[in-house]
Amino acid sequence: MARTAISRQYFAIFAFAALYLCLGWLVRNSYYQLIMTLVLIWATVGLSWNMLSGYSGLISFGHAAFFGLGGYTMTIAFVKFGLTPWAGIPLGILVGIVAGIIIGIPTFRLRGHYFALSMLAYPLAMLYVFEWMGYQEVSLPMKREAPMFYAQFSDQRAYMVLALILLVGCMLVSMHVERSRFGMSLTAIKQNEPAAAAAGINALRWKMLAISLSAAMGAAAGGLYAIVLLVVTPQSMFGGLVSAQALIMALFGGVGVFWGPVIGAAVLVPLAETLNAELGNILPGIQGVVYGIAIIVVILLAPEGIYWRIHDQLVSRRAASRATPPVAEPVGIAPLHAAPKPAPSKDAVLLQLDRVSRAFGGLKAVDEVSLNVRPGSIHGIIGPNGAGKTTLFNVVNGFLAADSGTIKFNGVGLIGLKPHQACAQGIGRTFQVVRAFPRMTVLQNVIVGAYVGARDNAEAEQLAREALDRVGISAARAQAVAGGLPTKQLRLMELARALAPRPQLLLLDETLAGLSHDALEDILTILRRVNRDGVTIVIIEHTMHAMVKLAEHFSVLDHGKLIASGPPAEVVKDPTVIEAYLGKKWVERAQDSVA
Amino acid sequence: MEELKWLVVDFFQAFAAGLLIGGTYGLMCVGLGIIFGVMRVVNFAQGDFMMLGMYVTYYLVTGFGVLAFLGPYAGPVVGAALAGPIVFAIGWLLHRYLLARVTGARVISAEAEGHYAQIIMTLGVALVLANGGLIIFGSQPLSVQTPLSRESWEIGLIFFNQARTIAFILAGACAVLLYLFLTHSDLGKSLRAAADNPIAAAYVGIDVDRCHRLAFGLGVGITAVAGGLIASSQSFQPYIGFDFVIVMYAGVVLGGMGSILGAFWGGLTIGLVQQMSTLILPYQLQNTAIFVVFLLIVFFRPQGMFGRVWERT
Amino acid sequence: MLKIRSLDVAYGGLRALSAISLDVEQGQFVAVIGPNGAGKTTLFKTISGVVEPQSGEITYNGRNLLTLPPNERAQLGIAHVPEGRQVFASMTVMENLEMGAYTSKGRLQRAELLPAIFELFPILAERRSQLAGTLSGGEQQMLAIGRGLASAPELLMLDEPSMGLAPAVVETIFDRIQHIHRNQGLTVLLVEQRAAEALELCDHGYVLETGHMVLEGSHNALIANERVKRAYLGM
Repeated sequence: MARTAISRQYFAIFAFAALYLCLGWLVRNSYYQLIMTLVLIWATVGLSWNMLSGYSGLISFGHAAFFGLGGYTMTIAFVKFGLTPWAGIPLGILVGIVAGIIIGIPTFRLRGHYFALSMLAYPLAMLYVFEWMGYQEVSLPMKREAPMFYAQFSDQRAYMVLALILLVGCMLVSMHVERSRFGMSLTAIKQNEPAAAAAGINALRWKMLAISLSAAMGAAAGGLYAIVLLVVTPQSMFGGLVSAQALIMALFGGVGVFWGPVIGAAVLVPLAETLNAELGNILPGIQGVVYGIAIIVVILLAPEGIYWRIHDQLVSRRAASRATPPVAEPVGIAPLHAAPKPAPSKDAVLLQLDRVSRAFGGLKAVDEVSLNVRPGSIHGIIGPNGAGKTTLFNVVNGFLAADSGTIKFNGVGLIGLKPHQACAQGIGRTFQVVRAFPRMTVLQNVIVGAYVGARDNAEAEQLAREALDRVGISAARAQAVAGGLPTKQLRLMELARALAPRPQLLLLDETLAGLSHDALEDILTILRRVNRDGVTIVIIEHTMHAMVKLAEHFSVLDHGKLIASGPPAEVVKDPTVIEAYLGKKWVERAQDSVA
Repeated sequence: MEELKWLVVDFFQAFAAGLLIGGTYGLMCVGLGIIFGVMRVVNFAQGDFMMLGMYVTYYLVTGFGVLAFLGPYAGPVVGAALAGPIVFAIGWLLHRYLLARVTGARVISAEAEGHYAQIIMTLGVALVLANGGLIIFGSQPLSVQTPLSRESWEIGLIFFNQARTIAFILAGACAVLLYLFLTHSDLGKSLRAAADNPIAAAYVGIDVDRCHRLAFGLGVGITAVAGGLIASSQSFQPYIGFDFVIVMYAGVVLGGMGSILGAFWGGLTIGLVQQMSTLILPYQLQNTAIFVVFLLIVFFRPQGMFGRVWERT
Repeated sequence: MLKIRSLDVAYGGLRALSAISLDVEQGQFVAVIGPNGAGKTTLFKTISGVVEPQSGEITYNGRNLLTLPPNERAQLGIAHVPEGRQVFASMTVMENLEMGAYTSKGRLQRAELLPAIFELFPILAERRSQLAGTLSGGEQQMLAIGRGLASAPELLMLDEPSMGLAPAVVETIFDRIQHIHRNQGLTVLLVEQRAAEALELCDHGYVLETGHMVLEGSHNALIANERVKRAYLGM
């Protein structure tokens, strides 16, 4: 099925290119031919923006940096050194990629507003630098002796063909990215970065790859733009309008899909250019006004762009006409080739924490905690809210750095490892509030988790299906979109995602929270089974009666300190635990019920 | 010896110039800071509202000459002050009819980042204002005429441009007034409450939506006053907003995003950086110096020099 | 006083509450218990207007609440003390209480209410000029309740006041709540995960599980109920 979808997309792209070419051949007016070329160039710029911001969700307000570098590199190489654009544009692409990497390394440490604002600063800084260097206006000299060699054509349509080749290339690259592990990883990062990291995705690596590709596309478009217009100015290459246009094309047409920027450019560029040509003399800023209004309208009416608006409508219409019968959920849990649970060895230690501390400001969230988790055991961590339980998990799987202490997993130190590295070591985790990738299907969610343990997509899917089977989610259920699932299914899906790469250790953060009594029993059964298969479990939980039944060992945290540790029956009788967590009433009632 | 003396004088002259211009930058930043502090939205159009403030002042003082009767000294100052309420009203309406409609709309990021819709919307507003300004006001650079801009007070060997000094004093006064409003009036406190914890604010009966509107109006209004004050010592055209956008962002980030008082100090510092950079850098690279400072802060101390870590729960 | 009928709430495609009905009479102490994530907080948010329901009705003293924005609901005399305290961390204790008295009724009675709150929670008087963010968890909870009381409410809604607090502190806080309820006759609607304490205090209780009201009854009936004993009282 995936294969036919790809070939259909190939067909669509080439059909689009052929049609565009025909249309371009029919147009005689050279001005309209120029507009047709500009549509293609701006669509490429939009694709460049989409490659980074559309897929990863990190909004860039500074794509002019790449566009401008591509244009200026080509132009300066041409003017100063007589380098042909055929070599100048690739050189520009190279400069763009280098800039992308230099920008990416520090800037990817930032999120949200800070990322967006920093990206805005780069092209503006470049603008002033290029002005200062005296490149206010650089024209490409005419090379009448060898126009072909210098990519100077008398027929506008030649430029259009060039731009079309570039655009189709970028579309094909984008399409493959969307369907690859790369694209899936970016989408997962966009939808929930911590979850992606915990699932073993190396976010920084994928983001660097995205910005490199994005910069290459932007720089190529910039170089071509300079050839077509024969002149570059800092404003036209690095100006705010360029960055805005990159974003507008994608936003208007559709974010996160390669058709988006193409649609956006096809609508907006002719509109703005025509208005500029017709009314530019009376209304000098009309182009910018059109783009501004386009943004406002699209945000108000179709905040994810035209493509998604139409797509969602088609999908809902198709769904309505088909009215798929509700998928019955099999209650049964797949039978298991249940190996007898190996008795946890007394001395072996899978996870060892030694005086681990972590403070926030003055607050010691985790204070000198030492504990050992034996392989094959189920280890419960209990304590009042705010006792530092989740922080402890965050320190173990690398979301937070420990201030002091050591953590060993299989005898190997974990301190300093990032979450994706901890995941690769064999530590899976779930979250207190389920962190799903809401717009992916259940299967895709789990596949993302499986990547870290798989060499290729097929193996990842294999692992994912296996994990889904282990938690009792049917193949039919796995096609549902995660966003709409009830709590129990989400919890199971998250569990499957953590299980997919076959971890040795699972960190479960309140997996039982919010479940009804029956659902809770189901999940307990699954957890016991997973454990019997050899997966060690550390679980944070409040539901005491469930915990007493499940865990073999309790560690009690209060105000960041480990106040008790031992078999459940002993721990619940410990007076400090009663004082700090259970409360006297709990004990009274527990005793009443026994009596 | 003589050389060293002039070096020192140059240094203090640049320092004085930085301080004076920094005061107005500080006020500008306070405007952006209050919007970010309350709404958690980075307003891209802030520079363009400043531009509006400049043109409002210009038309009041020079263009239509409504304030001509106040004379060349008081007129520009009163004009700048009046730009505040006028731009406040524009901001209020804009929030009411555009920005308030997209709160939480899902754009790009699937969840939790509903503010992006508003940020991108402000980018649209910025484009419309700057280019619409070009249509309405024309591209001819203008300035508000006042004899003050050509006169200076001389203290020792240092010159204090009179227009800038008065702008500095007024900017400081505006910032103090705003500070008193936020800390001593119920309305001001309710703004802070809405900024601190919007949901809890709604629970105690505060109309958070109205607070946002008020903050947006106030924010753009204050920046417009700063623009009006600058208009008498600098020429401007409709695209000028963009040049100041980074000045404002840098100031707000320097002061710690969310801290309104910090924004003033941040803006002041940026003024100093900009003017002092001319001691060692060519004039055209003034703004590049600001970018560098901006990027350095963002990377090494994102909570700002004056602010605290703002973690939203 | 407060009447909820067949309320349905969905959150981002997830159904959080289904067909909830609930009554609070004037002067009553009503508790809603249930596990973490059962929808208790969503129920409160819907009453306060932060979350919009799919269907159903909520009336307060006969008035339809659903047409009112959250801030106007507070003006009607409903004080919502949110889960996890949610004080205005960057403002002083005194300013927090002043913000509590933001309602028109609270403003009128500010002079009488503040001393009463300080009497109830003397620690707040001591810390009046301290930033709320620097208070301990227990103190913040007291401040949050004090802020609710400052609005001169008719109905006090408490969302899990025990959250993250040591049992000893929880006892003090429940004791104070009971005191307010008994002495001032204030109507209280309490949502709690700590079922034992909540059931002890209430006149009438509800049990909420995965968005459904599964049980309802008087204080005595609930305490004697086998299911409640098994699932909530840890027996």
